[in-house]
Amino acid sequence: MREFMTGNHAVAHAVKLCRTPLIAAYPITPQTPIYEKLSEWESSGLLQGIMMRTESEHSAMASCIAASLTGVRTFTATSSQGLALMHEMLHFAAGCRAPIVMANVNRLLAAPWGFWADQLDSLSQRDTGWIQFYCENGQEALDSVIQAYKIAEQVFLPVMICLEAFFVSHFMEPVEIPAQEEVDRFLPPLNLPHRFDIEKPGFLVPVVSSDLYRKYRQMMQRAMDSVKTVAAQVDDEFKTTFGRSYGIIEPILVEDAEVLLVTAGSMTSTARMAIQTLREKGYPVGLLKIRLFRPFPVEALQQTITGKKKIVVIDRNCSIGSGGIFCQELRAALIHSPDPPFVYNYLAGIGGTDVTPDTIGKIALDAIRRVDPADESIWWVDV
Amino acid sequence: MKVYPESCELLIPISYGSTEIIETGKWGFQKPEMVLGAAPCEESCPAGNPIAKFIHFVGEAKYDLALETILKENPFPGVCGRVCFHPCERDCNRNQYDEAVSINALERYVFDVTMNQKPLLRPMLNNHPVRIAIVGAGPAGLSCAYFLAMLGHRATIFEARNEPGGVLRWGIPEYRLPKTVLKREIRRILELGIELKTGVTVGKGLSMEALSRYEAIFLSPGASQSLTLGIEGENLTQVWRGTDFLNRINAQERIRPGKEVIVIGGGNTAMDVARSARRLGSAVTVAYRRTKKEMPAISEEIEETEQEGVHFEFLVQPVEIRSLPNGRIRVKFQQMRLKKGSQGKRPHPIPIKGSFLNMETDRLIIAAGEGVDLSWVPTDLIEKGFIKETFSGGKFFSGGDAVNQHRSVVTAISSGKRAAISIDLFLRGIDPEEVLSKIGIGSKGALSMEAYMRGLERGIWEGPKSIVGFDKINTLFFKPSERIKLKKIPSDQALKGFSEVRRGLSSGEAKESASRCFSCGTCNECYNCYYFCPEGIVSLDEMNHTRKVDLDHCKGCGICSKACPRHVIEMRLIS
Amino acid sequence: MKSPEQQPNFLRPGHAACAGCGLAVGMRLVLQAMGPKTIAVIVPSCEGSIGGVYPNTAYGVPTIHSAFEIAAPTAAGIANALKIQGRHDIQALAFAGDGGTFDIGLAALSGVAKNNDDIIYVCLDNEGYMNTGIQVSSSTPSFAWTGTTPGGNPRRKKNIMEIMAAHYNPYSATATIGFPQDLQQKIIKAKRIRGTKFIHLLSPCPTGWRMPPELSADISVLAVETNVFPLYEIENGVRWTINYEPRGLPVEAYLLKQGRFKHLTSEQINQIQQDVNEEWARLNQRAGSSSSKDRTSRSTKGFKHGKK
Repeated sequence: MREFMTGNHAVAHAVKLCRTPLIAAYPITPQTPIYEKLSEWESSGLLQGIMMRTESEHSAMASCIAASLTGVRTFTATSSQGLALMHEMLHFAAGCRAPIVMANVNRLLAAPWGFWADQLDSLSQRDTGWIQFYCENGQEALDSVIQAYKIAEQVFLPVMICLEAFFVSHFMEPVEIPAQEEVDRFLPPLNLPHRFDIEKPGFLVPVVSSDLYRKYRQMMQRAMDSVKTVAAQVDDEFKTTFGRSYGIIEPILVEDAEVLLVTAGSMTSTARMAIQTLREKGYPVGLLKIRLFRPFPVEALQQTITGKKKIVVIDRNCSIGSGGIFCQELRAALIHSPDPPFVYNYLAGIGGTDVTPDTIGKIALDAIRRVDPADESIWWVDV
Repeated sequence: MKVYPESCELLIPISYGSTEIIETGKWGFQKPEMVLGAAPCEESCPAGNPIAKFIHFVGEAKYDLALETILKENPFPGVCGRVCFHPCERDCNRNQYDEAVSINALERYVFDVTMNQKPLLRPMLNNHPVRIAIVGAGPAGLSCAYFLAMLGHRATIFEARNEPGGVLRWGIPEYRLPKTVLKREIRRILELGIELKTGVTVGKGLSMEALSRYEAIFLSPGASQSLTLGIEGENLTQVWRGTDFLNRINAQERIRPGKEVIVIGGGNTAMDVARSARRLGSAVTVAYRRTKKEMPAISEEIEETEQEGVHFEFLVQPVEIRSLPNGRIRVKFQQMRLKKGSQGKRPHPIPIKGSFLNMETDRLIIAAGEGVDLSWVPTDLIEKGFIKETFSGGKFFSGGDAVNQHRSVVTAISSGKRAAISIDLFLRGIDPEEVLSKIGIGSKGALSMEAYMRGLERGIWEGPKSIVGFDKINTLFFKPSERIKLKKIPSDQALKGFSEVRRGLSSGEAKESASRCFSCGTCNECYNCYYFCPEGIVSLDEMNHTRKVDLDHCKGCGICSKACPRHVIEMRLIS
Repeated sequence: MKSPEQQPNFLRPGHAACAGCGLAVGMRLVLQAMGPKTIAVIVPSCEGSIGGVYPNTAYGVPTIHSAFEIAAPTAAGIANALKIQGRHDIQALAFAGDGGTFDIGLAALSGVAKNNDDIIYVCLDNEGYMNTGIQVSSSTPSFAWTGTTPGGNPRRKKNIMEIMAAHYNPYSATATIGFPQDLQQKIIKAKRIRGTKFIHLLSPCPTGWRMPPELSADISVLAVETNVFPLYEIENGVRWTINYEPRGLPVEAYLLKQGRFKHLTSEQINQIQQDVNEEWARLNQRAGSSSSKDRTSRSTKGFKHGKK
């Protein structure tokens, strides 16, 4: 069934379809419509389960961890400051190997205040042990939430589905809503381990020795590494059932491209248009969408990028003192390439500033004209 | 490809082991030790009544156990619960906090609620019983026979009167000690296989020679002869002896002492005489040579005597009695003053020269003390008007009012117990002094039959328990509370006959009274040591009815000892 | 009936609490009253030290060592998950210290109480950050010494019970280890009530209170008997019942046994006495106005509990 809806509502639909019985959330713009929609369904009985209206995002995550360890599927949604407030619990959730799924609507972090799209909030949480997906539109957000549960419950790591403020969260687009029976088939009823067993009482999250801590971290890292494979498999399965797939990265007109644009999230849609125009004008420009950010799909990226001359990473985020975060990660991934390309970093769309196809075209031309590599990120402002 | 572990327990650490493998007991430098002590009340009870323990059972409504507990040390709970002067209550630690526990009333309650039950007594087996004679079936003689029976001996009691009981039967009036109570207690004692021969007087029916043929002899003939005043007119028909008067009443004789009666004396006999005379319709005046403060009678008795309308005349001593033509008599009293007694003794009355008081009356009853009939006693057993306390060597033993000791029922019981143990030791050929010092309760002379019997079983007598004084009690765990006032029948009603004046406790009152007991030195299962243990390692020691501690995990904090309200746990340093 | 010590114990010995730890006593009594069908939450504090180092633990019921400020929402998450699973026979129990309750976890607790999530929350109040080595919390009483108030705490102890009452949650009660039966009775009562139950449990800390370890029981009795810490309960935020009529001993009886108060001047002691008197009067007023019938029956000795 195809409906015209916002990205937020698409996420809410996904949660309902996954029959997630425990949702804990706290309002924050621009995530709130997810919370409201799910509350509405919970009140009307459309959504079977419990909506915990917590007093903070921190507590929402705490409740999700506890419920998940008790053995039920959980969901929360947040954004920006809320995600930052959750920080402590994000580490805790991953350390507890709790397969929680969360939607994060990417919004800039104060100060100064603003409500606009910026990916720094979730990228700041890249070291917490959460799997991260960046979605281009409402449809992908919906599909990614369904995929997220399937991945999380296999690898026992939490998943964050990121969608940008307003551009995805609020823009209305036609969205295909899968049939409930099909989702049920794709995502069978949860059979999580019940960690609290009154017949065999155990003490969870005890103090451990240094050696054991290292061991458990190593196990987490291994589980996280496996996500690259698991996520790809799940995406394939998803395609079989629903006819849609996204890959962990998506190469577009890459094969004959000499210059490769790299984007994540909604900017990808814009870039898709931009490269069409550039191709028409004869520039050998391709596009690479990074959908899975944690774990960072190093091998897939290396394969795709081998032989390219110039890589142009456009980041809607900036790690102050270091630059665009996607770019950092990509440069690190390419360091051992036999003939490493020049990797340029353009900071565009930060704080929700508008990035049009024209903007991306200009960025591409700027990069094509350059003869020297550039270590610094380039703050792009359309003139 | 699955690189993550299959088992969720490998995903995150979950502790399933127990910290019990960690011996935190090694942290401590002191460890608790259960040390049962004795309460001051128990030390003060001449009979060595296990007060804390029986009261604990009352609190738990286990009255049969309470009775059996008392009966280990005292065969007369029904009697003592009524007529004892209860020094236990005077020394009760609770006195230093608010008011003493109603020990006496609780003892009576135990008897009253178990009146129709047959308690389980466990006499020792003795395959070589010998014949032991007891002279006098008063409280001392009966007690001696009872304890001898408990030790497996067979005693024969020779009683001059036609019924046993002595002063309990013939002296104490019915309104203080109902005969049914006495009969019940005596029956329980005799049922242990004691032979009682009534109407036998030594020197008449039974020769001293015949008596001497027994393996051991206990002399407890009592003191039933009213002392004379040695004044003119003492032998007038209007002048009676107190013991005779009480005897006649207890023999159900119908007597009329007269409209006005003067009683001479300040002891319990005087009070019994005065109150009995009131019941027989007389107006009564008690004349005593000291003041109320010095009266030897039990204070409750004095109080009740006053309540029943008896008039008191203090600091007077009769010097002359004259018969008047109208059949009445005039008693001349010397007026006295008190001179401070030396060395804590009670003040001494001294005549005020030339100061006299004359009183006319129908009857004068002398109740100024009782003497011992020594006519049949060999002279070598007599000392200053009493039978000697012949406890070392020889087969003669003595006790009760006939020896020079405090005259009370409980003291008589005590001397009976002491004699029984001494006889047992004598028959075993063991020096009694050494053993008696080890089975004492504190240092006031009370003996523990239980300790004696336990020693017999084990072949060794441990030293006496230490006395738990008030300073050792943790009063934080006791709320101040009032002692229950005993109910009595109203005086006007009491005077209509000889029915018992004091009412017993109700079951609720008994429970409440029992709950007031500090149980000094006795574990009463309050569970403080368990509740307050941070390690939860205190458990029940079924064998000894105390707690035990898992020392492997005891850090030696000392809470159990500090929070034991009754000082049953002491901390001991470990080396 | 089984004697208390024959009932199962869910706090095992061998734990690492200090000798004489009042908090361990409190946890043990609470867990015993809760019984085996309990999932417990503890937070970083002495509760963690008691929990033990992997692979051993002192806890005899399934327990999670959660983060500091989230005892309540963690328990709420478990409670709601159990509800979803239809396990209505298992109860979620949260333990947090005064730091985790009065300070850092106050908002989280408030959130849970506002939602009336079905948990029993036990605040093990030892009046300071004792696990980190004795620092002031908002539960530390007036003038008390701590490592961060070397000159004495200038502020009064926060009234957490009033805060809880303001949530109109079904049940809140004070308790101390000094009155173990009262404490266990309150836990048993709380188990029968659905919604957020709060037990404010005064748990003496010999180390932090600077007193000999054997005094933990005595001092908790004295806290009650001096009215410093009255035993009462609040139902639905409006019905107040005083459970125990104290002796009303002077506060010195409580204060002077503890090294943390040894520097107090007579003015400061008077000030504490005055504060205690005012609080007690206010408490009586509340108990009186919410139920006049209880007042009369309470005047006799013993305990009085609100309707079950």
